[in-house]
Amino acid sequence: MTTSTKGLSDFVAEATEILDALSRDLAILDRRRGERLEPDLVNGIFRSAHSLKGLAAMFGEQRIAQLAHQTEDLLDRLRLGRIELTEKVVDALIESFDTFQVVLAETSRRERSAVATERAEAVSQKLAQFIDSGTVEQSDALDQLELDTQVRNVLTEYEEHRLRENLREGMAVWKVRAVFDLSDFDQGLARLNSKLKSLGEVISTLPSADPGDGTGIAFDIIFGGKVETEKLRLALTALPASVHPLFQFQPQPAEPSLPLERLVSPTPPGAEPEHRSPVRVAVSNAPQQASGALPAYANPRFGTADAMVRPSPKQPDGEGDPVGRGLTQTVRVDIGRLDSLMDAVGELLLIKANVARLAEQASRGGKPPPGQLWGHELHRESRLLERKLDDLQKGILEVRMVPLGQVFDKLARTVRRIARESGKEVDFLMRGGEVEVDKLIVEALSDPLMHIVRNAVDHGVETPDERERLSKRPRAAVAIRAMQRGNQVVIEISDDGRGLDEERIREVAVRTGILTRAQAEEMTPRELQRLIFLPGFSTASRVSELSGRGVGLDVVKTNISRLSGMIDTHSERGVGSTFTITLPETLAIVRALVVSVSGRVYAVPLNAVSEITSIAESEVRTVEGREVIGLRGKTIPLARLARVFELPETELRRRFILVVGLAHRRLGIAVDELLGQQDVVVKPLGGRLRHTPGIAGATDLGDRNPVLVLDTGALIEEVVNSERRPELV
Amino acid sequence: MAYKILIVEDSKASREFIASAVESVGGVEAFTTSTGFDALKLLSRQRFDLIITDLNMPGINGLELINFVKKSPTYRETPLFVITTEGREQDRAKGLALGAAEYLVKPFEPQQLEGLLMRYLNIA
Amino acid sequence: MAAFADILKQFFYAPDEDVGELFRPSIPADEMTLLASQERPGEYLAFFLAQECYAIPIDQVREIVRVPPLTEIPRSADNLLGVIKLRGEILPVYDVKMRLKLCERPPKIAGPEVEPGSLTSTSRILIVRDPEGDVGVLVDAVREVIRLKPSEIESLAPGIGGGDHLVGLGHLGTDLFILLDIHKALA
Repeated sequence: MTTSTKGLSDFVAEATEILDALSRDLAILDRRRGERLEPDLVNGIFRSAHSLKGLAAMFGEQRIAQLAHQTEDLLDRLRLGRIELTEKVVDALIESFDTFQVVLAETSRRERSAVATERAEAVSQKLAQFIDSGTVEQSDALDQLELDTQVRNVLTEYEEHRLRENLREGMAVWKVRAVFDLSDFDQGLARLNSKLKSLGEVISTLPSADPGDGTGIAFDIIFGGKVETEKLRLALTALPASVHPLFQFQPQPAEPSLPLERLVSPTPPGAEPEHRSPVRVAVSNAPQQASGALPAYANPRFGTADAMVRPSPKQPDGEGDPVGRGLTQTVRVDIGRLDSLMDAVGELLLIKANVARLAEQASRGGKPPPGQLWGHELHRESRLLERKLDDLQKGILEVRMVPLGQVFDKLARTVRRIARESGKEVDFLMRGGEVEVDKLIVEALSDPLMHIVRNAVDHGVETPDERERLSKRPRAAVAIRAMQRGNQVVIEISDDGRGLDEERIREVAVRTGILTRAQAEEMTPRELQRLIFLPGFSTASRVSELSGRGVGLDVVKTNISRLSGMIDTHSERGVGSTFTITLPETLAIVRALVVSVSGRVYAVPLNAVSEITSIAESEVRTVEGREVIGLRGKTIPLARLARVFELPETELRRRFILVVGLAHRRLGIAVDELLGQQDVVVKPLGGRLRHTPGIAGATDLGDRNPVLVLDTGALIEEVVNSERRPELV
Repeated sequence: MAYKILIVEDSKASREFIASAVESVGGVEAFTTSTGFDALKLLSRQRFDLIITDLNMPGINGLELINFVKKSPTYRETPLFVITTEGREQDRAKGLALGAAEYLVKPFEPQQLEGLLMRYLNIA
Repeated sequence: MAAFADILKQFFYAPDEDVGELFRPSIPADEMTLLASQERPGEYLAFFLAQECYAIPIDQVREIVRVPPLTEIPRSADNLLGVIKLRGEILPVYDVKMRLKLCERPPKIAGPEVEPGSLTSTSRILIVRDPEGDVGVLVDAVREVIRLKPSEIESLAPGIGGGDHLVGLGHLGTDLFILLDIHKALA
């Protein structure tokens, strides 16, 4: 596999991240030489090596993959307790880490020196030596557990090992079944996990499609620890969890080993779950002062031991937390992360609205200085929040912008494949892959571009023989270029093939009844060319398998129009065709405020909202029977959305007001609740509903039913223009 | 209507790679996530036509995810591919036993994945 | 735990919600030749509104779907029940029972004040092709696809039916099908 520049930089970026994590974990391991191993630490290092191996393998970086493979093997045996962590093993691990760095540095420069290759091989061999030594096979302790085969089937080898270790150490093992609400199960699970981890080891978390008697999603957590069932039940009382013992705590296990003895033993037979103990704290901190890389547990011998204990051994590097690993930046925008960013924005916005309201109240209250000062303070605070909000919003928008190159790479592969399949020789040229547009546009563009490019290769360009007869270069050229023009993005797809056949187009148009013969004769070549975007129009006598799926250019045109873009074509017989797509850089996506009124949810385009405030029912005045509100000394008309839309009104002491419009045409729209902010694609209602007053369209917020988007302009027209404006403005 | 494919893989670059291989099949849309937890959330929000998962992930591991998917009335029939690295044969065997349809061993050529996708999604 | 089922229903998209494209039963070849000399039957989709059985030409029906949650359109005409999302497309859904004098006012099936019992497990939405943009029509149940020859269609005698939205009556054995001009019934 040839790695593209983008692929390579992705690879290097992530490999660097993994090596960073590896270096942190190895440093801890190094400091704790000769101590009891924490299973999570070793597992973390194993995971790093495993990820590195997978990553390198995926990108064909054999030297790294090979070395990572050996490292992973060694760590696997280590975490499964098959070999011991000796000084030599730690040294070898550190050596392999150093080698990774050397090789990765070369790879990033697209170099490959013999010295580094030899070094990697030497280290691999060294690691292999440890792997051969000693295999400790155990009789399967898991058979004594009353474990559903179902549960057992989903345990990874490592999880099985941890379960065995827990049994061997005389821990009791439970199945903790927890049922959470679907909406926030991750939070509930995190709470439960932190509780459990303070008592023992969470061995496996198994989501269940069969939620039992609850009202949500169930998880079966296999948990090991040295507590009594009753104590465990007590500890979990506040949580929606039930406890089922799988293996009881045994005061005298077959292999007698009291906690204290094991804790001070320098080389225990294997890893074991964490236990807090004053003794261990003292031991584990002793050799640590020199390195000092982790100030979190400096000052080893003083203070009460318990106060010194870290809540969990995984704390300093954030490992083990299910969310922890996901906090790095990605190029592809992860939906989950996007959601959380959006939530954050929503929250900030609510705070802002709140603070602004408080500020207004306080400064208007006419109280003596302290009150006013407080008001000013709050004003400043609100400005600050606003700025933060702006930053955050900008951040999100940036995250949303993706280079068109993402699609181009994909197109290149398609071109290669189609060319291969149709026996054509095609050079695919790409330019402007760095031009960025909103992710949603990129995604929606992918199909239309693919279609045009397929057409170009499949129908546009000739076979090498044909081209030679026409004294053209045997290799055809298909090019895609993207350019930024103002706030528009222009994408051109051109080929040097046979060009559109206007005579064929004319013929087909007449035959299918699109045009009369007379009309067709009158048309200019340009006009004829544009006919190919009409529904059902195809000059190919039968749908080619390659251009596939019978989707015509009309669909391409529709898709482009849906993004508020345009498509045009320019073609010359025998010379080639060019398709030009012009798109807005953003548009299609509208940032919307999601509100609720009388139990209904609506989206309001945020660019229409100049301010959000809230008022008490008592602050609503009337002028000639029309409701108005005061806004910093100005009076503006008020429209209760519930009333405008003829919905049953809810009784509320305070309502939120969205101020929309400009200057003398401002309107306060009263809604019940603010639910948050979201980027939405507005679809016009179209058809029979296209003239629905006050509604701009509908959008999808991920619920099962569509959410209507308000047309604030129309609402202003309706309310402000239909009445006389209050004199006070 | 594009086929929706969920990709669960904790390595960012691999995720990217798989996603672009998936998306090079026309009419297919890739959704990506890095953890089993997010996968559960996405599965509840969207209807996916095919799932591709890594096995070794923090939190909910790939096997647990497969088990969940294969027990869920909605997704029981949904084809599921496992992407693994060389080694870990035991885990891979478990994945297949739980009902994974195919497994791919890194490194694989994008064409290999494309071929499987077209076969399972019945794309001509 | 009635709530549980609801939550699960929301949690998982139910694949059977898409009843899918209507397949058109093709006429067997031997029957074809037999019919060639005789009259060609037309295919109709038969469905129930209240207790009456109606039918419309099947080529007017794009697909049949279960009733998904609807969003009400504020200040809309009485017969507009709301809009639905169907594979990304927003479609209006109409009631025709009021027009056909089968009820006083359309059932409230969108928004927070949904009337319980106005939908049953057999309720479906017919997505009907329309030059102005396809629309949904709520029916109480879909019965079957029937074939009617012109001779099996009786034109309406005066005093039967109250408008130009009725086209005729189809007879198959003892069964009676009221043939509907769906576009007129929607207008």
